[in-house]
Amino acid sequence: MRSGARVLGIESTAHTFSASVVSEKEGVLTNSRAVYMPAEGSGIHPAEAAEHHLSVAVRVVREALERKHQRGSGIDEIDAFAYAMGPGLGPCLRVGAVTARTLALSTGKPMVAVNHAVGHIELGCLLTGAKTPLVLLISGGHTMVVAHSDGVWRVLGETLDLTLGQLLDQLGRYVGFASPCGRRIEEAASKSNRYLKLPYTVKGNDVSFSGVLTAAKKLVEGGASFEDVCYSVQETAFAITTEVTERALAFTGSRELLVVGGVAANRRLAKMLELMAKRHKASVKVVPPQFSGDCGAQIAWTGLLAFKSGDVLPSIADSVVRQSWRLDTVPTPWRA
Amino acid sequence: MKLLYRGAEADVFLGDWCGQPAVYKMRKPLAYRLPELDKLIRNQRTVHEAQMLHLSKLAGVSAPSLYYLSPQEALLVMGFLEGKRLRVLLLEPGITKERVETLGEEFGSSIAKLHAAGIMHGDLTTSNVIVNGGSISLVDFGLAVHSGRLEDQAVDLRLIKETLTGAHNRVSKRFMQSLVSGYSSVLGRKRAEAAMKKLAEIERRGRYARVE
Repeated sequence: MRSGARVLGIESTAHTFSASVVSEKEGVLTNSRAVYMPAEGSGIHPAEAAEHHLSVAVRVVREALERKHQRGSGIDEIDAFAYAMGPGLGPCLRVGAVTARTLALSTGKPMVAVNHAVGHIELGCLLTGAKTPLVLLISGGHTMVVAHSDGVWRVLGETLDLTLGQLLDQLGRYVGFASPCGRRIEEAASKSNRYLKLPYTVKGNDVSFSGVLTAAKKLVEGGASFEDVCYSVQETAFAITTEVTERALAFTGSRELLVVGGVAANRRLAKMLELMAKRHKASVKVVPPQFSGDCGAQIAWTGLLAFKSGDVLPSIADSVVRQSWRLDTVPTPWRA
Repeated sequence: MKLLYRGAEADVFLGDWCGQPAVYKMRKPLAYRLPELDKLIRNQRTVHEAQMLHLSKLAGVSAPSLYYLSPQEALLVMGFLEGKRLRVLLLEPGITKERVETLGEEFGSSIAKLHAAGIMHGDLTTSNVIVNGGSISLVDFGLAVHSGRLEDQAVDLRLIKETLTGAHNRVSKRFMQSLVSGYSSVLGRKRAEAAMKKLAEIERRGRYARVE
Protein backbone atom coordinates (compact mmCIF):
# COMPACT_ATOMS: atom_id res chain seq x y z
CA MET A 1 0.00 0.00 0.00
CA ARG A 2 1.33 3.45 -0.92
CA SER A 3 1.62 6.20 1.66
CA GLY A 4 2.47 9.39 -0.17
CA ALA A 5 5.72 10.15 -1.95
CA ARG A 6 8.82 8.06 -1.30
CA VAL A 7 12.39 9.26 -1.69
CA LEU A 8 15.70 7.44 -1.38
CA GLY A 9 18.51 9.65 -0.10
CA ILE A 10 22.26 9.15 -0.16
CA GLU A 11 24.73 10.73 2.26
CA SER A 12 28.47 10.68 1.49
CA THR A 13 29.92 14.04 2.56
CA ALA A 14 32.66 12.68 4.85
CA HIS A 15 33.30 9.37 6.66
CA THR A 16 29.78 7.99 6.37
CA PHE A 17 28.17 6.38 3.35
CA SER A 18 24.50 5.94 4.09
CA ALA A 19 21.24 5.40 2.23
CA SER A 20 17.70 5.77 3.49
CA VAL A 21 14.14 5.56 2.28
CA VAL A 22 11.54 7.94 3.70
CA SER A 23 7.84 8.29 3.05
CA GLU A 24 5.71 11.38 3.30
CA LYS A 25 3.29 9.88 5.80
CA GLU A 26 5.48 7.47 7.76
CA GLY A 27 8.78 9.34 7.93
CA VAL A 28 11.99 7.30 8.01
CA LEU A 29 11.41 3.74 6.73
CA THR A 30 14.97 2.47 6.45
CA ASN A 31 18.42 3.85 7.12
CA SER A 32 21.53 1.79 6.42
CA ARG A 33 25.10 2.94 6.68
CA ALA A 34 28.78 2.06 6.56
CA VAL A 35 31.42 4.22 8.21
CA TYR A 36 35.00 4.58 7.01
CA MET A 37 37.44 4.26 9.91
CA PRO A 38 40.86 5.84 9.50
CA ALA A 39 43.95 4.38 11.19
CA GLU A 40 44.49 5.16 14.89
CA GLY A 41 45.83 8.66 15.35
CA SER A 42 44.75 9.94 11.95
CA GLY A 43 41.81 11.70 10.37
CA ILE A 44 39.88 11.17 7.16
CA HIS A 45 41.99 10.58 4.08
CA PRO A 46 39.60 11.79 1.35
CA ALA A 47 40.69 9.36 -1.37
CA GLU A 48 40.65 6.38 1.02
CA ALA A 49 37.24 7.39 2.32
CA ALA A 50 35.92 7.63 -1.26
CA GLU A 51 37.33 4.18 -2.01
CA HIS A 52 35.55 2.83 1.07
CA HIS A 53 32.29 4.45 -0.06
CA LEU A 54 32.60 2.92 -3.52
CA SER A 55 33.16 -0.53 -2.07
CA VAL A 56 30.04 -0.38 0.14
CA ALA A 57 27.68 1.68 -2.06
CA VAL A 58 25.77 -1.21 -3.66
CA ARG A 59 25.34 -3.11 -0.39
CA VAL A 60 24.16 -0.03 1.54
CA VAL A 61 21.64 1.02 -1.12
CA ARG A 62 20.34 -2.54 -1.40
CA GLU A 63 19.84 -2.70 2.37
CA ALA A 64 17.96 0.59 2.33
CA LEU A 65 15.62 -0.83 -0.32
CA GLU A 66 14.97 -4.13 1.52
CA ARG A 67 11.47 -4.82 2.78
CA LYS A 68 12.31 -5.88 6.32
CA HIS A 69 9.33 -5.78 8.70
CA GLN A 70 7.20 -4.46 5.82
CA ARG A 71 8.83 -1.06 6.19
CA GLY A 72 11.09 -1.24 3.18
CA SER A 73 10.37 -0.19 -0.30
CA GLY A 74 11.11 -1.69 -3.71
CA ILE A 75 13.08 0.45 -6.10
CA ASP A 76 9.97 0.77 -8.30
CA GLU A 77 8.18 2.57 -5.47
CA ILE A 78 10.76 5.36 -5.22
CA ASP A 79 9.64 8.71 -6.69
CA ALA A 80 12.98 10.53 -6.58
CA PHE A 81 16.62 10.03 -5.68
CA ALA A 82 18.23 12.60 -3.39
CA TYR A 83 21.95 13.00 -2.73
CA ALA A 84 24.11 15.29 -0.64
CA MET A 85 25.44 17.84 -3.12
CA GLY A 86 27.65 19.40 -0.44
CA PRO A 87 29.34 20.73 1.56
CA GLY A 88 31.93 18.05 2.08
CA LEU A 89 34.97 16.27 0.73
CA GLY A 90 35.03 16.24 -3.08
CA PRO A 91 36.01 12.58 -3.63
CA CYS A 92 33.41 11.40 -1.09
CA LEU A 93 30.64 13.60 -2.47
CA ARG A 94 31.25 12.27 -5.97
CA VAL A 95 30.56 8.67 -4.91
CA GLY A 96 27.14 9.69 -3.59
CA ALA A 97 26.35 11.72 -6.70
CA VAL A 98 27.35 8.89 -9.03
CA THR A 99 25.28 6.38 -7.07
CA ALA A 100 22.19 8.60 -7.15
CA ARG A 101 22.74 9.36 -10.84
CA THR A 102 22.91 5.65 -11.65
CA LEU A 103 19.68 4.95 -9.78
CA ALA A 104 17.90 7.90 -11.43
CA LEU A 105 19.06 6.99 -14.92
CA SER A 106 18.08 3.35 -14.59
CA THR A 107 14.58 4.15 -13.27
CA GLY A 108 13.86 7.37 -15.15
CA LYS A 109 13.00 9.14 -11.86
CA PRO A 110 14.24 12.69 -11.04
CA MET A 111 17.19 13.66 -8.85
CA VAL A 112 17.08 16.06 -5.90
CA ALA A 113 20.19 17.88 -4.60
CA VAL A 114 20.32 18.37 -0.83
CA ASN A 115 22.53 20.56 1.35
CA HIS A 116 23.97 18.37 4.10
CA ALA A 117 23.57 20.98 6.85
CA VAL A 118 19.96 21.73 5.94
CA GLY A 119 19.52 17.94 6.03
CA HIS A 120 20.64 17.75 9.68
CA ILE A 121 18.15 20.48 10.60
CA GLU A 122 15.10 19.23 8.70
CA LEU A 123 15.54 15.63 9.91
CA GLY A 124 15.91 17.01 13.45
CA CYS A 125 12.60 18.85 13.04
CA LEU A 126 10.88 15.70 11.77
CA LEU A 127 12.16 13.46 14.57
CA THR A 128 11.63 15.87 17.47
CA GLY A 129 8.49 17.64 16.29
CA ALA A 130 10.21 21.04 16.36
CA LYS A 131 8.47 23.57 14.10
CA THR A 132 10.64 26.68 13.57
CA PRO A 133 13.27 26.32 16.27
CA LEU A 134 16.49 28.08 17.00
CA VAL A 135 19.01 25.46 15.89
CA LEU A 136 22.41 24.55 17.27
CA LEU A 137 24.22 22.58 14.58
CA ILE A 138 27.33 20.93 15.98
CA SER A 139 29.39 18.39 14.11
CA GLY A 140 32.77 17.82 12.55
CA GLY A 141 31.88 20.22 9.74
CA HIS A 142 29.73 22.79 11.51
CA THR A 143 29.37 24.78 14.69
CA MET A 144 26.58 27.24 14.03
CA VAL A 145 23.55 28.80 15.64
CA VAL A 146 20.87 29.26 13.00
CA ALA A 147 17.27 30.39 12.74
CA HIS A 148 14.90 30.40 9.80
CA SER A 149 13.85 33.76 8.40
CA ASP A 150 12.86 35.11 5.00
CA GLY A 151 13.22 31.82 3.17
CA VAL A 152 16.59 30.56 4.38
CA TRP A 153 18.25 29.18 7.49
CA ARG A 154 20.28 32.17 8.63
CA VAL A 155 23.46 32.05 10.67
CA LEU A 156 23.27 34.01 13.94
CA GLY A 157 26.63 32.88 15.23
CA GLU A 158 29.31 30.40 14.29
CA THR A 159 32.87 29.32 14.91
CA LEU A 160 35.62 31.55 13.61
CA ASP A 161 38.05 28.64 13.31
CA LEU A 162 37.58 25.02 14.45
CA THR A 163 34.25 23.26 14.82
CA LEU A 164 33.39 21.49 18.07
CA GLY A 165 33.83 18.16 16.30
CA GLN A 166 37.26 19.14 15.03
CA LEU A 167 38.33 20.30 18.49
CA LEU A 168 37.41 16.93 20.01
CA ASP A 169 38.81 14.94 17.06
CA GLN A 170 42.10 16.78 16.98
CA LEU A 171 42.57 16.44 20.73
CA GLY A 172 41.76 12.73 20.45
CA ARG A 173 44.08 12.20 17.52
CA TYR A 174 46.85 13.97 19.42
CA VAL A 175 46.81 11.10 21.93
CA GLY A 176 46.42 8.43 19.27
CA PHE A 177 42.67 7.89 18.78
CA ALA A 178 41.11 7.65 15.34
CA SER A 179 38.38 10.15 14.38
CA PRO A 180 35.61 10.53 15.27
CA CYS A 181 36.80 10.75 18.90
CA GLY A 182 33.81 12.40 20.61
CA ARG A 183 32.66 9.32 22.46
CA ARG A 184 36.11 8.44 23.80
CA ILE A 185 36.71 12.03 24.92
CA GLU A 186 33.35 12.04 26.72
CA GLU A 187 34.26 8.77 28.40
CA ALA A 188 37.64 10.07 29.56
CA ALA A 189 36.07 13.34 30.75
CA SER A 190 33.52 11.49 32.87
CA LYS A 191 36.39 10.08 34.98
CA SER A 192 37.59 13.51 36.14
CA ASN A 193 36.31 16.54 37.98
CA ARG A 194 39.53 18.54 38.13
CA TYR A 195 39.29 21.72 36.10
CA LEU A 196 42.45 23.01 34.42
CA LYS A 197 42.23 26.57 33.16
CA LEU A 198 41.80 27.01 29.41
CA PRO A 199 41.20 30.09 27.27
CA TYR A 200 37.53 31.08 27.07
CA THR A 201 36.83 32.94 23.83
CA VAL A 202 33.46 34.41 22.93
CA LYS A 203 33.44 37.12 20.27
CA GLY A 204 29.95 38.52 20.20
CA ASN A 205 27.82 35.66 18.88
CA ASP A 206 30.82 33.84 17.49
CA VAL A 207 33.15 31.35 19.13
CA SER A 208 36.75 30.35 18.70
CA PHE A 209 38.23 26.99 19.75
CA SER A 210 41.76 27.14 18.35
CA GLY A 211 43.09 28.58 21.62
CA VAL A 212 41.42 25.80 23.61
CA LEU A 213 43.05 23.16 21.40
CA THR A 214 46.54 24.64 21.60
CA ALA A 215 46.35 25.04 25.38
CA ALA A 216 44.95 21.51 25.80
CA LYS A 217 47.76 19.98 23.72
CA LYS A 218 50.29 21.87 25.84
CA LEU A 219 48.71 20.49 29.00
CA VAL A 220 48.93 16.93 27.66
CA GLU A 221 52.53 17.54 26.63
CA GLY A 222 53.30 18.91 30.11
CA GLY A 223 52.15 15.66 31.68
CA ALA A 224 48.62 16.58 32.82
CA SER A 225 46.25 13.63 33.11
CA PHE A 226 44.35 13.05 29.87
CA GLU A 227 41.08 12.65 31.80
CA ASP A 228 41.54 16.08 33.40
CA VAL A 229 42.31 17.66 30.04
CA CYS A 230 39.25 16.09 28.39
CA TYR A 231 37.09 17.20 31.31
CA SER A 232 38.43 20.75 31.10
CA VAL A 233 38.12 20.94 27.32
CA GLN A 234 34.50 19.78 27.47
CA GLU A 235 33.62 22.16 30.31
CA THR A 236 35.22 25.12 28.52
CA ALA A 237 34.18 24.47 24.93
CA PHE A 238 30.63 23.44 25.85
CA ALA A 239 30.20 26.48 28.13
CA ILE A 240 31.33 28.72 25.26
CA THR A 241 28.88 26.99 22.91
CA THR A 242 26.06 27.19 25.45
CA GLU A 243 26.77 30.88 26.06
CA VAL A 244 26.43 31.89 22.40
CA THR A 245 23.34 29.69 22.07
CA GLU A 246 21.88 31.46 25.08
CA ARG A 247 22.66 34.81 23.49
CA ALA A 248 20.79 33.81 20.34
CA LEU A 249 17.91 32.45 22.41
CA ALA A 250 17.63 35.71 24.35
CA PHE A 251 17.97 37.71 21.14
CA THR A 252 15.36 35.84 19.09
CA GLY A 253 13.02 35.13 22.00
CA SER A 254 12.61 31.61 20.64
CA ARG A 255 11.00 29.02 22.92
CA GLU A 256 12.33 26.00 21.10
CA LEU A 257 15.96 24.93 20.78
CA LEU A 258 16.84 22.07 18.43
CA VAL A 259 20.25 20.43 18.74
CA VAL A 260 21.53 18.49 15.72
CA GLY A 261 24.82 17.12 14.36
CA GLY A 262 27.23 14.48 15.60
CA VAL A 263 28.24 16.30 18.81
CA ALA A 264 24.54 16.43 19.80
CA ALA A 265 25.12 12.90 21.12
CA ASN A 266 27.28 14.26 23.97
CA ARG A 267 25.31 14.05 27.20
CA ARG A 268 27.25 16.72 29.11
CA LEU A 269 26.54 19.29 26.42
CA ALA A 270 22.85 18.37 26.30
CA LYS A 271 22.71 18.78 30.08
CA MET A 272 24.30 22.25 29.90
CA LEU A 273 21.89 23.35 27.18
CA GLU A 274 18.94 22.15 29.24
CA LEU A 275 20.09 24.07 32.32
CA MET A 276 20.50 27.16 30.17
CA ALA A 277 17.18 26.87 28.33
CA LYS A 278 15.26 26.49 31.59
CA ARG A 279 16.08 30.10 32.45
CA HIS A 280 14.46 31.23 29.20
CA LYS A 281 11.49 28.86 29.49
CA ALA A 282 12.57 27.23 26.26
CA SER A 283 12.39 23.53 25.49
CA VAL A 284 15.44 21.63 24.26
CA LYS A 285 14.94 19.03 21.57
CA VAL A 286 17.93 16.84 20.85
CA VAL A 287 17.97 14.68 17.75
CA PRO A 288 17.94 10.94 18.76
CA PRO A 289 21.52 9.59 18.94
CA GLN A 290 21.11 7.08 16.09
CA PHE A 291 20.32 10.01 13.78
CA SER A 292 22.70 12.65 15.20
CA GLY A 293 25.66 11.60 13.08
CA ASP A 294 25.65 11.79 9.29
CA CYS A 295 22.94 9.57 7.81
CA GLY A 296 21.00 8.97 4.62
CA ALA A 297 17.75 9.87 6.38
CA GLN A 298 18.73 13.55 6.61
CA ILE A 299 19.23 13.64 2.84
CA ALA A 300 16.16 11.51 2.03
CA TRP A 301 13.80 13.55 4.24
CA THR A 302 15.02 16.95 3.02
CA GLY A 303 14.98 15.53 -0.52
CA LEU A 304 11.35 14.59 -0.01
CA LEU A 305 10.49 18.11 1.20
CA ALA A 306 12.24 19.59 -1.85
CA PHE A 307 10.60 17.05 -4.19
CA LYS A 308 7.16 17.95 -2.85
CA SER A 309 7.89 21.63 -3.60
CA GLY A 310 8.93 20.76 -7.15
CA ASP A 311 12.59 21.46 -6.43
CA VAL A 312 14.12 18.65 -8.55
CA LEU A 313 17.21 18.92 -10.76
CA PRO A 314 16.29 19.91 -14.33
CA SER A 315 18.60 17.27 -15.78
CA ILE A 316 21.15 14.62 -14.82
CA ALA A 317 23.88 16.97 -16.07
CA ASP A 318 23.05 19.30 -13.16
CA SER A 319 23.92 16.67 -10.55
CA VAL A 320 27.28 18.19 -9.68
CA VAL A 321 28.89 18.38 -6.23
CA ARG A 322 29.71 21.54 -4.27
CA GLN A 323 32.46 21.17 -1.68
CA SER A 324 31.73 24.67 -0.37
CA TRP A 325 28.04 25.39 0.02
CA ARG A 326 26.94 27.43 3.02
CA LEU A 327 23.51 26.63 4.36
CA ASP A 328 22.48 30.30 4.45
CA THR A 329 22.48 30.33 0.64
CA VAL A 330 20.08 27.40 0.24
CA PRO A 331 16.45 28.20 -0.65
CA THR A 332 13.87 26.31 1.43
CA PRO A 333 10.64 26.53 -0.59
CA TRP A 334 8.92 23.94 1.65
CA ARG A 335 9.05 26.45 4.52
CA ALA A 336 7.33 29.21 2.53
CA MET B 1 12.63 46.40 41.22
CA LYS B 2 11.14 45.75 37.84
CA LEU B 3 12.76 43.27 35.44
CA LEU B 4 13.59 45.20 32.26
CA TYR B 5 15.35 42.56 30.29
CA ARG B 6 16.49 39.00 30.75
CA GLY B 7 19.68 38.81 28.73
CA ALA B 8 21.87 35.84 28.03
CA GLU B 9 24.28 36.43 30.89
CA ALA B 10 22.61 39.04 33.04
CA ASP B 11 19.26 40.15 34.35
CA VAL B 12 18.65 43.88 34.05
CA PHE B 13 16.33 45.58 36.55
CA LEU B 14 14.98 49.10 36.77
CA GLY B 15 15.42 50.55 40.25
CA ASP B 16 16.53 53.68 41.95
CA TRP B 17 19.91 55.06 43.04
CA CYS B 18 19.87 58.09 45.33
CA GLY B 19 16.60 59.24 43.83
CA GLN B 20 17.67 58.72 40.22
CA PRO B 21 16.18 56.01 38.04
CA ALA B 22 18.91 53.39 37.73
CA VAL B 23 19.60 50.12 35.99
CA TYR B 24 20.82 47.16 38.07
CA LYS B 25 22.72 44.69 35.98
CA MET B 26 23.31 41.40 37.74
CA ARG B 27 25.38 38.64 36.30
CA LYS B 28 23.74 35.70 37.99
CA PRO B 29 25.57 32.40 38.39
CA LEU B 30 24.90 30.28 35.33
CA ALA B 31 24.01 26.76 36.32
CA TYR B 32 25.47 25.18 33.19
CA ARG B 33 28.96 26.54 33.78
CA LEU B 34 31.41 24.98 36.20
CA PRO B 35 31.14 27.16 39.36
CA GLU B 36 34.84 28.13 39.42
CA LEU B 37 34.86 29.03 35.73
CA ASP B 38 31.54 30.81 36.09
CA LYS B 39 32.68 32.97 39.01
CA LEU B 40 35.85 33.98 37.22
CA ILE B 41 34.02 35.00 34.06
CA ARG B 42 31.30 36.93 35.90
CA ASN B 43 33.74 38.87 38.05
CA GLN B 44 36.07 39.63 35.17
CA ARG B 45 33.34 40.83 32.85
CA THR B 46 31.73 43.02 35.50
CA VAL B 47 34.93 44.88 36.35
CA HIS B 48 35.85 45.05 32.72
CA GLU B 49 32.48 46.47 31.74
CA ALA B 50 32.83 49.26 34.31
CA GLN B 51 36.22 50.23 32.92
CA MET B 52 35.03 50.11 29.34
CA LEU B 53 31.93 52.21 30.09
CA HIS B 54 34.20 54.90 31.45
CA LEU B 55 36.63 54.78 28.53
CA SER B 56 33.79 54.87 26.02
CA LYS B 57 32.44 58.05 27.52
CA LEU B 58 35.92 59.57 27.29
CA ALA B 59 35.92 58.60 23.62
CA GLY B 60 32.80 60.70 23.13
CA VAL B 61 30.30 57.86 22.85
CA SER B 62 27.04 58.03 24.75
CA ALA B 63 26.88 55.21 27.29
CA PRO B 64 25.29 54.74 30.74
CA SER B 65 26.91 56.51 33.71
CA LEU B 66 28.38 54.17 36.30
CA TYR B 67 26.91 54.58 39.81
CA TYR B 68 28.17 51.52 41.66
CA LEU B 69 30.28 48.43 41.10
CA SER B 70 30.53 45.25 43.14
CA PRO B 71 32.80 42.62 41.61
CA GLN B 72 31.97 40.03 44.30
CA GLU B 73 28.27 40.19 43.55
CA ALA B 74 28.93 40.72 39.83
CA LEU B 75 26.70 43.78 40.07
CA LEU B 76 26.74 47.09 38.20
CA VAL B 77 24.41 50.00 38.89
CA MET B 78 24.16 52.46 36.02
CA GLY B 79 22.13 55.46 34.96
CA PHE B 80 18.90 54.64 33.17
CA LEU B 81 18.72 55.66 29.51
CA GLU B 82 15.33 56.64 28.13
CA GLY B 83 14.55 55.31 24.68
CA LYS B 84 13.89 52.21 22.60
CA ARG B 85 16.14 49.38 21.57
CA LEU B 86 17.33 49.65 17.97
CA ARG B 87 16.21 46.05 17.50
CA VAL B 88 12.60 47.03 18.23
CA LEU B 89 12.74 50.13 15.99
CA LEU B 90 14.15 48.23 13.01
CA LEU B 91 11.40 45.61 13.32
CA GLU B 92 8.61 48.22 13.19
CA PRO B 93 6.74 47.70 9.92
CA GLY B 94 6.20 51.44 9.34
CA ILE B 95 9.86 52.48 9.64
CA THR B 96 10.83 54.90 6.83
CA LYS B 97 13.90 54.65 4.59
CA GLU B 98 15.11 58.00 5.92
CA ARG B 99 14.84 56.81 9.51
CA VAL B 100 16.80 53.63 8.69
CA GLU B 101 19.48 55.78 7.07
CA THR B 102 19.84 58.27 9.94
CA LEU B 103 19.97 55.46 12.49
CA GLY B 104 22.61 53.65 10.44
CA GLU B 105 24.73 56.81 10.13
CA GLU B 106 24.50 57.54 13.85
CA PHE B 107 25.32 53.98 14.83
CA GLY B 108 28.26 53.93 12.39
CA SER B 109 29.76 57.11 13.77
CA SER B 110 29.43 55.89 17.40
CA ILE B 111 31.28 52.68 16.53
CA ALA B 112 33.96 54.67 14.72
CA LYS B 113 34.52 56.84 17.80
CA LEU B 114 35.03 53.70 19.88
CA HIS B 115 37.38 52.18 17.32
CA ALA B 116 39.34 55.42 17.04
CA ALA B 117 39.94 55.15 20.80
CA GLY B 118 41.04 51.53 20.45
CA ILE B 119 37.91 50.07 22.04
CA MET B 120 36.19 47.12 20.42
CA HIS B 121 32.67 46.78 21.78
CA GLY B 122 32.59 43.02 21.22
CA ASP B 123 28.82 42.69 21.23
CA LEU B 124 27.35 45.05 18.67
CA THR B 125 23.90 43.55 18.22
CA THR B 126 20.85 45.74 17.68
CA SER B 127 19.72 44.85 21.22
CA ASN B 128 22.63 46.79 22.66
CA VAL B 129 21.77 50.13 21.09
CA ILE B 130 19.34 52.51 22.76
CA VAL B 131 17.74 55.14 20.53
CA ASN B 132 16.23 58.30 21.95
CA GLY B 133 14.95 60.56 19.19
CA GLY B 134 17.97 61.19 16.99
CA SER B 135 20.64 60.16 19.47
CA ILE B 136 22.15 56.75 19.99
CA SER B 137 23.69 55.23 23.11
CA LEU B 138 25.60 51.98 23.38
CA VAL B 139 25.15 49.59 26.29
CA ASP B 140 26.53 46.24 27.43
CA PHE B 141 30.29 46.52 27.33
CA GLY B 142 30.88 43.15 28.99
CA LEU B 143 32.73 41.72 25.99
CA ALA B 144 34.61 44.91 25.07
CA VAL B 145 38.36 44.71 24.51
CA HIS B 146 41.26 47.05 23.89
CA SER B 147 42.79 46.59 20.49
CA GLY B 148 44.39 48.49 17.69
CA ARG B 149 44.15 45.57 15.27
CA LEU B 150 42.22 46.00 12.05
CA GLU B 151 41.09 42.39 12.39
CA ASP B 152 39.31 43.15 15.67
CA GLN B 153 37.58 46.20 14.20
CA ALA B 154 36.34 44.04 11.36
CA VAL B 155 35.13 41.33 13.77
CA ASP B 156 33.13 44.05 15.56
CA LEU B 157 31.54 45.16 12.28
CA ARG B 158 30.94 41.59 11.23
CA LEU B 159 28.69 40.94 14.21
CA ILE B 160 26.47 43.86 13.20
CA LYS B 161 26.23 42.50 9.69
CA GLU B 162 25.45 39.03 11.04
CA THR B 163 22.72 40.43 13.29
CA LEU B 164 21.25 42.53 10.49
CA THR B 165 20.98 39.68 7.99
CA GLY B 166 19.87 37.28 10.72
CA ALA B 167 17.17 39.42 12.29
CA HIS B 168 16.54 42.51 10.16
CA ASN B 169 16.98 41.24 6.65
CA ARG B 170 14.35 43.61 5.24
CA VAL B 171 16.37 46.73 6.05
CA SER B 172 19.86 45.23 6.37
CA LYS B 173 21.40 46.48 3.11
CA ARG B 174 20.28 50.08 3.49
CA PHE B 175 21.17 50.17 7.18
CA MET B 176 24.62 48.69 6.61
CA GLN B 177 25.35 51.18 3.80
CA SER B 178 24.47 54.14 6.02
CA LEU B 179 26.44 52.62 8.86
CA VAL B 180 29.56 52.42 6.71
CA SER B 181 29.09 56.01 5.61
CA GLY B 182 28.74 57.15 9.24
CA TYR B 183 31.76 55.06 10.15
CA SER B 184 33.93 56.62 7.47
CA SER B 185 32.76 60.15 8.32
CA VAL B 186 34.62 59.74 11.64
CA LEU B 187 37.53 57.46 10.77
CA GLY B 188 38.09 58.66 7.22
CA ARG B 189 37.40 56.79 4.01
CA LYS B 190 40.73 55.01 3.94
CA ARG B 191 40.43 53.37 7.35
CA ALA B 192 36.78 52.53 6.77
CA GLU B 193 37.55 50.87 3.46
CA ALA B 194 40.38 48.89 5.02
CA ALA B 195 38.02 47.66 7.76
CA MET B 196 35.35 46.61 5.24
CA LYS B 197 37.94 44.84 3.15
CA LYS B 198 39.08 42.93 6.23
CA LEU B 199 35.47 42.07 7.00
CA ALA B 200 35.07 40.56 3.53
CA GLU B 201 38.24 38.58 4.13
CA ILE B 202 36.89 37.20 7.42
CA GLU B 203 33.67 36.20 5.67
CA ARG B 204 35.65 34.33 3.05
CA ARG B 205 37.35 32.45 5.86
CA GLY B 206 33.87 31.37 7.03
CA ARG B 207 33.21 27.68 6.78
CA TYR B 208 32.06 26.55 3.34
CA ALA B 209 31.98 30.12 2.03
CA ARG B 210 32.40 30.34 -1.73
CA VAL B 211 35.91 31.46 -2.51
CA GLU B 212 35.65 34.16 -5.18
